[in-house]
Amino acid sequence: MTKAAVELSSVTKSFKLCHGRNNSLKSLALSFRRPRCEELVALDNVSFSIDPGQTTAVIGRNGSGKSTLLRLLGNVFKPTRGKIVVRGRVSALLELGAGLHPDLTGLENIYLNGAILGLRTREIRRRLDDILEFSELGKFVDTPLRSYSNGMVMRLGFSVAVQVDPDVLLIDEVIAVGDEPFQEKCYEKIGEFQKAGKTIIFVSHDLQAVQKVASRAIWLSGGRVMVDGMVEDAVWAYMASIPREG
Amino acid sequence: MLSDLRELYKYRDLVAQLVIRDLKVRYKNSVLGFFWSLINPLVQVAIITIVIKVLLLVRIPNYSAYLLAAFLPWMFFQMSLLDASDSVLKHHDLLKKVYFPREALPVSLVISNLIHLILAFIVFFIYLVTIPRAPIYSTALLLPVLMAIQFIFNLGVAFFISCLNVFYEDTKFIVAVGLNALFYASPVMYVSELAHNALMHSHRLPAAFKEPLWVLYQINPLNALLMGYRKILLSPFPEFTLRGAKLSDMPMNWGYLGIAALISILLAIVGYRFFNKRKWGFAEML
Repeated sequence: MTKAAVELSSVTKSFKLCHGRNNSLKSLALSFRRPRCEELVALDNVSFSIDPGQTTAVIGRNGSGKSTLLRLLGNVFKPTRGKIVVRGRVSALLELGAGLHPDLTGLENIYLNGAILGLRTREIRRRLDDILEFSELGKFVDTPLRSYSNGMVMRLGFSVAVQVDPDVLLIDEVIAVGDEPFQEKCYEKIGEFQKAGKTIIFVSHDLQAVQKVASRAIWLSGGRVMVDGMVEDAVWAYMASIPREG
Repeated sequence: MLSDLRELYKYRDLVAQLVIRDLKVRYKNSVLGFFWSLINPLVQVAIITIVIKVLLLVRIPNYSAYLLAAFLPWMFFQMSLLDASDSVLKHHDLLKKVYFPREALPVSLVISNLIHLILAFIVFFIYLVTIPRAPIYSTALLLPVLMAIQFIFNLGVAFFISCLNVFYEDTKFIVAVGLNALFYASPVMYVSELAHNALMHSHRLPAAFKEPLWVLYQINPLNALLMGYRKILLSPFPEFTLRGAKLSDMPMNWGYLGIAALISILLAIVGYRFFNKRKWGFAEML
């Protein structure tokens, strides 16, 4: 039996939500009482495991814990309780272009962004042609990022992020913001990853895309898993839960 | 801590890229580039030279050279701390999205300021042989040792303040005030001999306090470092009279430099642990 690519056992993530900021020494010294804080539970006792090569969608309304889940998987947050095991290299397409600098050129940003995502400089150099081709920057590679359109910044971010060659790929609602041809390219790339046997976890509000890409879906609501099963079942249950207008 | 260091080593290319970014962005769009950042210390050194020579009537030949030899490392200390203080906070967006060793941020800034110091010292040597026509001594070969100790010292302090500033934004103001005080408490604009002279000839201080205070003054790693830079780069200054007392060059007390090295290493280890213990909480500070 192969080991699961992703395993969550009873994972809870809570944040301290304080009323009134308490991050100056003055307020710390002046407040004799502790600041009024409550615990905000973003994920509540979530357990599931994902087999290698499986594409799983995570759906749910805003604030249901989807992004917290992806950040936990991407090792940005540590769980409050419970255990997370991710086997292999993880790459997150959480938000494209995180860490891009407006004053650096496209090429300089490729190296910086790649390094932030954990690529060695020589790995980037080796894959530079691929990156440049995918990003379609053309003559803009040598101009500062601040002269780019939003679409160009996104393409640049995506083309670097897919070079990480992860075993587990996390995608958070990044594709939906691009135009038609860009989206098509992204789904093509996702298809390639699927063929290569990568594990993909995909967060989206675009339920059509979810059904096209994923075979399994997890519906989160209020930080709890409502349905975890075939993508059609989860999407159907989720749709049924949304009160329709009129 | 070792596993953290291994992880940081795995991300060494990130540190390199962050250093490159910092140096590129700092001097973007300016023709003079690097020289702009030299102009500030040069102007300050010129002003302090005038104050010391004309107003305080301290007669040391080539006083500017003695000033610069300590002022450039002082800038390394000051800029490392100021840059590091908001290094984590400034990248808050990034921290919430991507995993990478958080210490790459302060570490890269201290490195980029070290590179800056090296460039500034090259200019300093050119100045030394052209304007005062001073000789360059073989002791100047010890310069990398001093810079290494100071690098570790700066790094240790940077770990503390970059971390604390995430939780308490007052930190960077405290750092600014602290730097101001340290500037006068360390031999930057004056030589250590002057501090010794003032302390020993003070009429207000009880005699019993003088020796311990002098020891305390020398234990400040910045004193040992800045004094060290002067001693290895420049000739001993000739004896002169100040307020009726003879003031002559003191030999370097290498023991205090050893203590400074120990303090620096200890500070860096404790600072790194302090930082590591809190670094995964950064992303959750909303």
